[in-house]
Amino acid sequence: MSDMDSYRSLYVAESRENLENIVKNLLVLEKGSDQNAIAEIFRSAHSLKGMSASMGFDEMEQICHAMEDVFQSIRNCDLQADSAVIDLLLKTADDIESMVDDIEAGGQGNSPNLDQTLENIRSWKACRQDGRDKAMPGDLPAPDELPANGSASDWNSLGTSVYHLNIEIDRKCDTKNLRGMIILQNLEALGEILDVAPPQDIIEDGDFDGIIKLTLRSENDSEALVKAASVSEVCAVRVVSPEEKTAPVLQEKTAVRDDDIRDTRKAALPPSGKEREVKNIRVDITRLDHMMNLIEDLVINRGRVLQIAQKHRMKDLDETLNMIGRSVADLQNLMMNIRMIPLSHIFNRFPRTVRDLSQKMGKEIELCIEGGQTELDRSVMEGLNDPLLHLIRNAIDHGIEIPDERQKAGKPRKGQIQISAQRDRENVIITIHDDGAGINPEKILEKAVRKGIIPPESAPGMSKEEIFDLLFQPGFSTAEKVTDVSGRGVGLDVVRTAMQAVKGSIKVESEPGTGTRFELLLPPTMAIVDVMMVRINDRRCAIPVNNIVEVAALDGTRIHSIGSRETILLRDEILTLNRLEDMFGASDRSEILVILQNQQKKMAITVDAIIGQQEVVIKPLTKIVGSCPGISGVTIPGDGQVVPVLDVSSIVMEN
Amino acid sequence: MGKILIVDDTLFMRTLLKNILFSGGHTIAGEAADGDDAIEKYKELKPDLVTMDVVMPKLNGIEALKGIKALDPNARVIMCTAVGQEQMVKLAIKSGARGYIVKPFQAPKVLDEVKNILES
Repeated sequence: MSDMDSYRSLYVAESRENLENIVKNLLVLEKGSDQNAIAEIFRSAHSLKGMSASMGFDEMEQICHAMEDVFQSIRNCDLQADSAVIDLLLKTADDIESMVDDIEAGGQGNSPNLDQTLENIRSWKACRQDGRDKAMPGDLPAPDELPANGSASDWNSLGTSVYHLNIEIDRKCDTKNLRGMIILQNLEALGEILDVAPPQDIIEDGDFDGIIKLTLRSENDSEALVKAASVSEVCAVRVVSPEEKTAPVLQEKTAVRDDDIRDTRKAALPPSGKEREVKNIRVDITRLDHMMNLIEDLVINRGRVLQIAQKHRMKDLDETLNMIGRSVADLQNLMMNIRMIPLSHIFNRFPRTVRDLSQKMGKEIELCIEGGQTELDRSVMEGLNDPLLHLIRNAIDHGIEIPDERQKAGKPRKGQIQISAQRDRENVIITIHDDGAGINPEKILEKAVRKGIIPPESAPGMSKEEIFDLLFQPGFSTAEKVTDVSGRGVGLDVVRTAMQAVKGSIKVESEPGTGTRFELLLPPTMAIVDVMMVRINDRRCAIPVNNIVEVAALDGTRIHSIGSRETILLRDEILTLNRLEDMFGASDRSEILVILQNQQKKMAITVDAIIGQQEVVIKPLTKIVGSCPGISGVTIPGDGQVVPVLDVSSIVMEN
Repeated sequence: MGKILIVDDTLFMRTLLKNILFSGGHTIAGEAADGDDAIEKYKELKPDLVTMDVVMPKLNGIEALKGIKALDPNARVIMCTAVGQEQMVKLAIKSGARGYIVKPFQAPKVLDEVKNILES
């Protein structure tokens, strides 16, 4: 099978797509009979089976075959796809998923549960079928006879002859009937079949030894007839026309035998010819990452060459570099677009989660997903699955009430969870909204005080927003008890950390009794960011432009000291002032105020000077450096120096 | 040697088939992933032969075969089938399919079938 190994990754990728399609449609089916969903599941199971057979993954083939069988039965017999069978098939889908995992890791996709799974499927079928099996409408052979080609009068004209043909199909052929049908069809196109033995219906049933004798009236010569009858797996065709009774045309054909079969797949390269371009290709994501890195290096080195050109006042080079700059920018944009993946990629998994959990917890929940087509960079997407899953689990576990409770509260028994995504200027906003019990701010406060997250004296006077923000503090978990649904007290702080890792942010709004709404704000891509280059105490630093609200002169601004902190009053707003001395040291040339914002929270920092604005590639700090509070990464502008990029969210949140 | 249009809803099968056909010296006129696409591509590319999967989204292989035959009664279409799809293949043959190949594909059988039909 080793020669098939080159197809393995393609197999894995397409198997996952098909599996996802199966799960998605099983969930559709659960809501009610849907012919389209049945057809889709059947098709995907069928594709999976075909691919698995080609790869030689026997167990996978067997499972898919069994699944396909179930849907054939559902389609044929109007069997209801009840929740028992949906459960069974979802479990089968889980088995298939772990088999695909095994195949991806280089295994043969063997399943420890194969026998059990097959037995389960078969016993379901056996107990439902009770003899209602009838052939699929689409499978029924059309009742009409073979289509007639040409009118009968053609054959009565002069020049037609009557031929007797003896055709022998290879004994080893296990589809003699199909070959026979093709032969009849081909000959029918050349003349009128007057007689055939065995009769046509016996040929179609395949209940014969492979020898067909027929009488045909045709104006074609015997050579044409031999050709028409010499389909694959035919070993001999003998034609006797009335005029040639003494000299029969005999053609021996060698059918391909299994033992002759060699693999010619790898044998030859395509011959040079007019090969048509394939419109879509599949590329390994690591190659795209590598390409992205190369483009980043290109951007950095172009910057360096630009500086050299400016230093030496080389005008010609300057112009060329401008051209290169444009190409590089286009390349960057293109690369960004290529790396974008629609959110449906992760959204598609949620219906299954919601179904399983709500069943487990005895809740009725309708999941509504919108904006799955919104695209995000792959690197952002990667970090998003777990936080989203966590929020959905929370909504099911703590948000949506059990049906009776909802009814008592005058709500519909069925709860609703809405996930939506949309593009908002530079950002992508994802919201998760449930119409459950909501969160009581007083309860949060009480708990925060009890857990020592905030001192009791600061509790009064906190805004609702600030209170909800406490939910994201480490050690805070609103669940009264730990359940296996939303984890062992792993709180929303983990979600916030995960969001910050992808340069995103999260906030929550909730109304007791009506529901909770989480809003995630994400950059569509992390790698290239518009920054303002500033100088602080003779060092350069980059600040993402997204986080800058305003730049003002420090001169004339009154600085107030509140406790150990400095604050300023800017347009009736009191802002904390941070001179970033712990990061850059004390500067005596601070002249400019930069107002930063992260999720409604603002603060001011001081800088010596503003150098300019530019697009840079942000590289994460390597593991050797470790995490560095206040710094989200570094960038390398044209001169080759390493410049830190300010991590505005952590600086603002700390204050 | 012919110019062949490959119709299958999985890239995996198309790739497999493409490589087999390449190794037999054929050229690939194009690929289609569903029945509608197959008919459109047939119109556009006028291939010498079509390999047609049976189970596909939108229009299935039988319907696509009928569509192609309506455009060109002489179209040479080979059905790609799996074990257990005999009824479908019968229907396809009655609708004008000229041959069939069975999954999992074996290169010599595929090439033999294609050669036979191209020569007919």
